[in-house]
Amino acid sequence: MSILEYNGAAIIAMTGSNCVAIASDNRLGIQYQTVAMDFRKIFRMNDSLYVGLAGLATDVQTLDQLLRFRMGLYELREEREMSPEVFTNMLSNLLYEKRFGPYFAEPIIAGLDEKNMPYLATMDLIGAISKTKDFVVAGTAEGNMYGMCETLWKPDMEKEELFETISQALLASVDRDALSGWGGVVHLITPEGVTTRHLKGRQD
Amino acid sequence: MSEFTLAPTASTAAPTGFSFDLTHRNALIESSSSTSSSNIPAKLPKALKTGTTIVGLVYKNGIVLGADTRSTNDTTVADKNCQKIHYIAPNIYCCGAGTAADTEKTTDAISSQMELLRLNTHSESRVVTACTLLKRMLFRYQGYISAALILGGCDVDGPHLYQIYPHGSTGKLPFTTMGSGSLAAIAVFEEGYKDDLEEGEAVELVKRAILAGVWNDLGSGSNVDTCVIRMDGSVEHGRNCVMPNEVGELRKKVRRSDVLNMRSGTTAVLGETFRKRMGGGVTLEDVVVTEMET
Amino acid sequence: MSYSTALPTHHQTHNPLTDAYHGKSAETRHLKPNELSTGTTIMAIAFSSGVVLCADSRVSTGTYIANRASDKISQLHDHIWCCRSGSAADTQALTDYVRHYLGQLAVETGRVPEVKVAAHLMRRLCYENKDNLMAGVIVGGWDPVEGGSVYNIPLGGACMSMPFAIGGSGSTYIYGLVDSEFKEGMTKEEAVALCKKAVSHAMSRDGSSGGIIRTCVVTGDGCEREYVSGNRLPYGPAGW
Repeated sequence: MSILEYNGAAIIAMTGSNCVAIASDNRLGIQYQTVAMDFRKIFRMNDSLYVGLAGLATDVQTLDQLLRFRMGLYELREEREMSPEVFTNMLSNLLYEKRFGPYFAEPIIAGLDEKNMPYLATMDLIGAISKTKDFVVAGTAEGNMYGMCETLWKPDMEKEELFETISQALLASVDRDALSGWGGVVHLITPEGVTTRHLKGRQD
Repeated sequence: MSEFTLAPTASTAAPTGFSFDLTHRNALIESSSSTSSSNIPAKLPKALKTGTTIVGLVYKNGIVLGADTRSTNDTTVADKNCQKIHYIAPNIYCCGAGTAADTEKTTDAISSQMELLRLNTHSESRVVTACTLLKRMLFRYQGYISAALILGGCDVDGPHLYQIYPHGSTGKLPFTTMGSGSLAAIAVFEEGYKDDLEEGEAVELVKRAILAGVWNDLGSGSNVDTCVIRMDGSVEHGRNCVMPNEVGELRKKVRRSDVLNMRSGTTAVLGETFRKRMGGGVTLEDVVVTEMET
Repeated sequence: MSYSTALPTHHQTHNPLTDAYHGKSAETRHLKPNELSTGTTIMAIAFSSGVVLCADSRVSTGTYIANRASDKISQLHDHIWCCRSGSAADTQALTDYVRHYLGQLAVETGRVPEVKVAAHLMRRLCYENKDNLMAGVIVGGWDPVEGGSVYNIPLGGACMSMPFAIGGSGSTYIYGLVDSEFKEGMTKEEAVALCKKAVSHAMSRDGSSGGIIRTCVVTGDGCEREYVSGNRLPYGPAGW
């Protein structure tokens, strides 16, 4: 078993028409023993930018703290919010600095850019960026999530349909993964604001 | 301008280069599973690799570079349309194979060094300079930065093509291929390469070589990217110039089952919150501006 | 009384760049995974008024030929050249350093550098970094003091002046041939012919050597680079 699968995680992000959604499961485990069912894996960076971190829980929380610190510093220095593009490069460089002793976490970045267009990106644990127009997934249920997303995703979904699609993709995926689950959380990012919904899921 | 907008001084500037903070911890994690007292999983995760086909050749009037667009993580296709032809200078580009992050960051670092050199010397970049900078960096890291590169460009001395291996050895060649699909691609080049090809013939040969990798190597796939660098300094990018694996059109023809369209209310929701967008972060309107006492 | 000097394991410093090869000497260390090797045949002969350097052109990774027409004869100064064998990356870095130092020395002293100086620069780098290098080099050239001379610098970093030298994996096949055919005071033509003959024999027996034969003849008048293409070798599939 890989160290990335030590705590378990499932994170998806999808684009819609003028909106993006990012969703994760709630479980924190130590291998097969479940420790918490309300573990946060998606973090708010600003009003239109969220980051999901799948991997070793200690590194997930360390990275969140580091990113929050850097976001605060940037906003104070620049007197503006960080764009998703800049954020992605910053995180990538943060991870690559530890090329020979990496954080064990794979990030997913979801947000709206300066023109309120959907922005999705993901990277591996040492910061190799890949940007997509449809969906990105990370975590122990990766294979399942790829399958669900390839089947359910279609271009230009409206906000509510996007919510249902990402939720069903997530729930169906984690039901076939022993290391993730216990319900989920979805953040729907639109130009007006962010809707956060907690999903009911299997508790086994 | 605010009081926070201070330029970092030399003493407070963050140290540059790699940080080895976590290497010891990670080595412990790796070794701990072999001892019976702990059951932490041992296998350290593998970084994204670009199982790749990249090629380059010299033709009559310059250089043609080519690459496939698949990026893999073990056997999973991590990105179906990534870019493997990296910018080094306006007249120099570089194809990368190996660990995705390494090829990306190495070419980025060298391209920024090249730009600084250009600004300092007021002269066009040379391909040998880029080659030397790359080989020095890779040799310093003794192969641990796994970037296998094909560097091509045109400068005052004419067109140049180099292959650069992760350990820091280089070779100057009229045509070359690298990556897991290099065997398939070199077969095409060995059969079809001639000195002083016309541009059209050269681009076609490059496309054929990449397609040989796309079809016959499992690590390579998706589309073909090309890049032509001419002696007059012009550059032509052929991003996705061959797309033999495009499924978008096909999928549109397939009647999508209504089961796959999620209706409102399908998902059971426990609770909902809405956070209105405030926008802009901290701007001047958000702070009280007081006159400075003078 | 005795006391333990052993440190707890977590006090040991980890260097990810060297750990994997810790404790192995240059002789026992093998190439790293996927490292390019110039599994090679190289040789050099000093004749009456200069030297001839000669090499095959094959560069391989395992069984794959990464470059079939490479140049393993590198220039160190106007009249000083070397043949490289071993790791391609290591020997390229070494020649780059020697070329740099030699150029600097020539400018600072205002004189033409001696082949001996070049060879000892190379030897010093090879010897002091022997744990991290895989390099066997033959330095040859012409200078006004000693005329043509050849220096052999094998794996551990020794430096021997000799009338002729052979090296690389293919050299084992041609020791007898070269020993019997070499004679003192050969002419340029005789030396070049012996080089081509010997290297072509090595190429036909050694799987890590092959391609074409490259030569470099150095005299006081300058350097002549030539090659023999694979279908015109004096010995081999096309020649016997």
